[in-house]
Amino acid sequence: MLTLLRDLRRQRRRLALAAPDRGRSLALRHVDAGSCNGCEHELTLASGPHYDLQRFGLGIVASPRHADVLLVTGAVTTRMHEPLLAAYRAMPEPRRVAALGDCALGCGLLGAAAELVGPVEAVLPVDLRIPGCPPTPAEIAEALLRLVDGRL
Amino acid sequence: MSPHRERVAAALADGFRFGGLHATSDGAWVRTLLVAPDGSARLESVPVRDGRAPTIVDLAPAAGWDEREAHDLQGVRFDGHEPLRPLALHDLRLERWTVPVRGRDPYQVAVGPIHAGVIESGHFRFHVVGDRILHLDARLFYKHRGLERAAEGRTLEQGLAYASRACGACTVANGLAYAQACEEALGLEPTRGLARARTLLLELERAWSHLNDVAAICAGVGLAAGTARFLALTERARRLNARLAGHRFLFGSVRVGGSALEVDGRTARAAREELAAVRAESRRAWRELLFNASFQERLPEVGAVPAADAARLGATGPAARAAGLAEDVRSASPRLAYDGFEPAVPERAAGDVQARLEQRGLELEQTFALLDGLLDGALAPAAAERAAPERAVGVGRVESARGATSCVVERSGDVLRRLRLRTGSYANWPVVARAAAGGLLPDFPLVNKSFELCYACADR
Repeated sequence: MLTLLRDLRRQRRRLALAAPDRGRSLALRHVDAGSCNGCEHELTLASGPHYDLQRFGLGIVASPRHADVLLVTGAVTTRMHEPLLAAYRAMPEPRRVAALGDCALGCGLLGAAAELVGPVEAVLPVDLRIPGCPPTPAEIAEALLRLVDGRL
Repeated sequence: MSPHRERVAAALADGFRFGGLHATSDGAWVRTLLVAPDGSARLESVPVRDGRAPTIVDLAPAAGWDEREAHDLQGVRFDGHEPLRPLALHDLRLERWTVPVRGRDPYQVAVGPIHAGVIESGHFRFHVVGDRILHLDARLFYKHRGLERAAEGRTLEQGLAYASRACGACTVANGLAYAQACEEALGLEPTRGLARARTLLLELERAWSHLNDVAAICAGVGLAAGTARFLALTERARRLNARLAGHRFLFGSVRVGGSALEVDGRTARAAREELAAVRAESRRAWRELLFNASFQERLPEVGAVPAADAARLGATGPAARAAGLAEDVRSASPRLAYDGFEPAVPERAAGDVQARLEQRGLELEQTFALLDGLLDGALAPAAAERAAPERAVGVGRVESARGATSCVVERSGDVLRRLRLRTGSYANWPVVARAAAGGLLPDFPLVNKSFELCYACADR
């Protein structure tokens, strides 16, 4: 276990983002509105040992009731439209919406018009755009840090 | 019995396996994919009359989801498939899509479509008594983007995006099944070089995917150290993908009729060294899992699927092999470079969470060994060669990290008329429901993670 912790510390020093003093935090609630699962896999690694978003105060929470930011992946499908709105409505103010990945931003959308409502912006006010197909964990981390630092 | 049902029954009696079923986009024909023991595939077609076709779900229970999908999306009714529950249609009353459960104090627990972690969207309805699960109705298709329908009318080249972007985690497998289907229709055969490049891509995808699956099982138990170590390895595998093919998930690396993958000798050597290091670290991390008693305690007899049920329900991939079914598309893939491949089956093929975890460990070893051989020397762009007459329909079959993935392409000239992608995840979802039944509700996340299926792959 101690070896593991030492390894992790070394990995972080070698590979990860700079960690200036940050006094704030944001609770994130992820909603998959119709992704290809690529953004989910990169978001998972953003919380993994190489990037470790938690040490910046960025944590994924289990309920929208506990969330500051709704992190939405994928183009919004007709079947996810209502659940997405329900998650947003459940969030306390102030709340932000981040669109994660090109599909959520409406770039290069694939699918049948009858099955898709459109990009996240067609449904919710978007505060943060994180482009990429999918965005890498480093890109996700940097975009979210801009949000936590209030540089947005 | 109708002649169609007789033909299907005779093929199944001859050792053919059900490989998928779809309706043409106008709902005029239903086609059943049958796979021979040597891996060759054939389609049995039956015309739809007055909107009805004979069911085969009694002959091949694995066709259940396919027939429900053909009903919801192409409007075909299947005579004898009763009740024909909706699969893709959601605006129906609860009683229409759930199995009635009666008895002493059963109640339902509804979970999703939005889950508590970073997980894809899907809805599970557990019928329980206390913590004991009597039955699980999984309602997916929340992520249904109509990809197959949207691909119709496009060129064969354009269609690739719809197949390969159906799922980011299985993009190589899905894209390759599509490319092989197109190439069979076009009468093209891959050269040695093309087969090698594609096999490399497929195994690179399996490597990160299996490492991720082990991390997911650790997360399902709550072993943070195991999760962290295997997620770190997943990251290294994805970085290697980016170095070799320019994309962490290998997007854009599969093409119809050829491969543009170019790897010089130095990069290939460096990749081999990195893979050897990842393999060594994965073995060390694996050993720690083996000697962690409280972790191991959580695994045996949880989410068990007996071999007979796995076969009946059409389980495939690691989930099937962990139950003792020694089936793997790679052992019969003449279009790829898998000469002499033998499927791995664990010693204790109990079909439970422990066996599915052990299966990932065995397959990681196979994949690392394959990758080491495939990266012996530079790779150059390659093209397929004309070898057979053209056909209107082509079939491609590939072993993804989750099992057999098949793609059927129907075309006229260069225009796609129908694209059907049946992924390993799609085949295995009914098996997850079987694995959950009889178990405890708090064990379900672990059982689900031991399959680690994609929702995107199933919903399309």
